[in-house]
Amino acid sequence: MRAETLKGHLDGILLAVLEPEPRHGYSIMEALRDRSAGQVDLPTGTVYPALHRLERAGLVRASWSTVGGRRRRVYELTPAGRRALDTERSTWRDFSAAVTALLQPQPLAVSPQ
Amino acid sequence: MNWPSTPAPVTQLPVDRYLAEVTARLPGSPLAHRDIVAELRSGILDATDAHCAAGLPPAEAVQAAIGEFGDPAQVADGFRTEVAAGLARRAALVVLVTGPLVGVLWIVTAAASHLAPHHQWADLSPGFQVGVPLVAVAAGVTACGALFGIAATGRLTRWLPALPRRAPGAAAVAGFGAIGADAAGLALLGVQLATAAGTLSPWPAAAAAAASIARLVFARRAALRCLAIRAGLT
Repeated sequence: MRAETLKGHLDGILLAVLEPEPRHGYSIMEALRDRSAGQVDLPTGTVYPALHRLERAGLVRASWSTVGGRRRRVYELTPAGRRALDTERSTWRDFSAAVTALLQPQPLAVSPQ
Repeated sequence: MNWPSTPAPVTQLPVDRYLAEVTARLPGSPLAHRDIVAELRSGILDATDAHCAAGLPPAEAVQAAIGEFGDPAQVADGFRTEVAAGLARRAALVVLVTGPLVGVLWIVTAAASHLAPHHQWADLSPGFQVGVPLVAVAAGVTACGALFGIAATGRLTRWLPALPRRAPGAAAVAGFGAIGADAAGLALLGVQLATAAGTLSPWPAAAAAAASIARLVFARRAALRCLAIRAGLT
């Protein structure tokens, strides 16, 4: 799935990936691939600026920690991030229900003779 | 997941080259990119380790990891707004915080020099009656620009539409406001030195002038840099 397809939904997706546990950048990318069964495969480098934007908005908190001898920036959801995720979920449910209904094949109208 | 680490010498050069290509496209000094570089580096090394664990030799693994991270121009595009926001926020904060400090020094100078002996507006010379409101207007512009710049780069971005040029623009306005306020303050000092130098209290005046000059130099640099950064954003 290309970045353009995800446009507008990347923030919600990143928040959802961080919901169960804090993760560092590459681990977030691995989780995106795993949870989408490989459908979401963005250039990894483009996920980091999105994380910085979420941090600036106060939706995630980042801190440096050393794991396995390598310094990593670990991200976790803030309470505001959890609330934003709830909103994203409910907006997505409404949107997806509306689009599903609209895309449903309709019986062809029989034109009067 | 933690993979066994790939040997450093094999990864160092291509990763350094990739990171240099990203940062060459970013505004600001290497200091402003330090955390980005460290974070991307650790991510690329994680990806390299994962490819090694999947069976690639280290030299190929690092190339695969770099390929996975994407075009350096695309990565830099994403970070450019973030770096610009950080630089604009810092400039706006410095201008905002130093304003009242410099202002207090000028007020102390005016009080110690008895510029308004009966604390009446009418006691001030005509030059001051024009100059003081000018300083106040410039200070107001500075405060508004700085506060807007700070708001547009922090928590409020959650609710504001994403306009990358907004924050550096506001910080530039704050910088030009500060230039105006400090230049007007220094001009008033010049008028006083030319017309009634004897009444000036020298030490507070020297401290206020030095602080205003320092702030003016900083504000000029920050405003021009924010304008240049703004021009580089879409």
